[in-house]
Amino acid sequence: MRILAIETSCDETAVAIVSMMDGVFTIEKSILSSQAKIHALYGGVVPEVAAREHAAWIFPLMKDVGVSPEGEGIDAIAVTAGPGLVPALRIGVELGKTLAWAWNKPLVAVNHLEGHIYSVWLNTEKPPSFPALSLLVSGGHTEFILMKDHGDYTLLGMTRDDAVGEAFDKVAKMLGLPYPGGPQISREALEGDATAISFPRPMLDSQDLDLSFSGLKTAVRVYLSEHDDISVADVSASFLQAVVDTLVAKTMRAITQTKPVSVILSGGVSANRVLRETLQSSISQLDAEVTFHAPDLSLSGDNAVMIAVAGLMKASRGEYVDPLTLVADPNMRLA
Amino acid sequence: MEYLTHNEEETKKVAGEFAKTLKGGDVIFLSGDLGMGKTTFVRGVAEYFGFSDPVRSPSFTIVNRYPITGSEITQILHIDFYRIDDPSEIPPLALEEEVGQPDTIVCIEWPEKDEGHTISPTHHLRFTERENRHVITIEK
Repeated sequence: MRILAIETSCDETAVAIVSMMDGVFTIEKSILSSQAKIHALYGGVVPEVAAREHAAWIFPLMKDVGVSPEGEGIDAIAVTAGPGLVPALRIGVELGKTLAWAWNKPLVAVNHLEGHIYSVWLNTEKPPSFPALSLLVSGGHTEFILMKDHGDYTLLGMTRDDAVGEAFDKVAKMLGLPYPGGPQISREALEGDATAISFPRPMLDSQDLDLSFSGLKTAVRVYLSEHDDISVADVSASFLQAVVDTLVAKTMRAITQTKPVSVILSGGVSANRVLRETLQSSISQLDAEVTFHAPDLSLSGDNAVMIAVAGLMKASRGEYVDPLTLVADPNMRLA
Repeated sequence: MEYLTHNEEETKKVAGEFAKTLKGGDVIFLSGDLGMGKTTFVRGVAEYFGFSDPVRSPSFTIVNRYPITGSEITQILHIDFYRIDDPSEIPPLALEEEVGQPDTIVCIEWPEKDEGHTISPTHHLRFTERENRHVITIEK
């Protein structure tokens, strides 16, 4: 089966064609609006939020991905139906509905978070087994999800205030570092002392699996306002360590509570090397055999390939939606 | 009116008192630096109206909707222009469909990013800091 996937839930306009044969996924085409090649072709750079004007991008991307106007060779269409920003989501959803109706092909509605989780099923010989514990960390999301089987999700906990990627961006801004904050802080942290400043590890005392990063952000702000001569590298390293310690400690608690056989780290923040390595090494020290999975760095941020993979899995279970009635859902939940 | 708060609970309490004075169609601007308690304040307003789910920062999502029941007000729109780089990015959000409507209360963080003043407030709150305390100034 070959699926055309469309993702417009946030800043990135993305289109991909992915096929699945005997359980193996092949990325045939994948294009993002932020890719330099496309910028050069269609002019200009896309400012971070103006990229929401997906309408301007979607058809050039469709053309570039090489879809025939008659839909030849495409068996189904997958589209991100939520969560996300309504005007952004609508562009992709309406295009998906239109194509499904005009081509008379089945349509799959994919949850953006489900897409992130399925990013680890690509480019791997050994995909996760169930039950799998998923830690999803991105600019807009920070949550623990238990997956008992394909398509079977239970929300275990989530941030009560700021997402972890947002905390990175805001702390970077306080430090005068450019956007996006995650890579910048990681780079600065390499030169810094992670034990220099004792920032809080939020929510470690609570027994649940909820998280909170607003207080940590405020702690950095207070530190910066009380000290004149600061080391950006030390603040970055100490902040990063507080984030990683918190996420890893909570993940280990979630493992104890849910006894998964696989742990999945996904979302844009999964690209952070310190987080990846610390989590992987903590999991490898467990008595139980638990496998660790994180996406290729190229697939950790928003993309349409992950939507295609989640869509192919749903299509294989016959979970189609009616193109005449599908509506973008900004608050769409996985569980 | 000026309020001093020492922690999140006190900020939420001030927000709850403030929320009592609100009516449908009100638009509240919340100005202040990062980590000054703007989102916490909106959390207090939402809790006053009986919204019990966590109120999360809309910095990334730009718009969060909190459905509420029990009066003619059916939702709180929690907006954050933090990531807006250019005022031209605001009209595509199509906020005019909901802002100012009698069934909606709107809270906007980083309203100064709306340089074109496409939205007018009914209340303007400023969040600052003095001797480790949050100072919330409410202008009607």
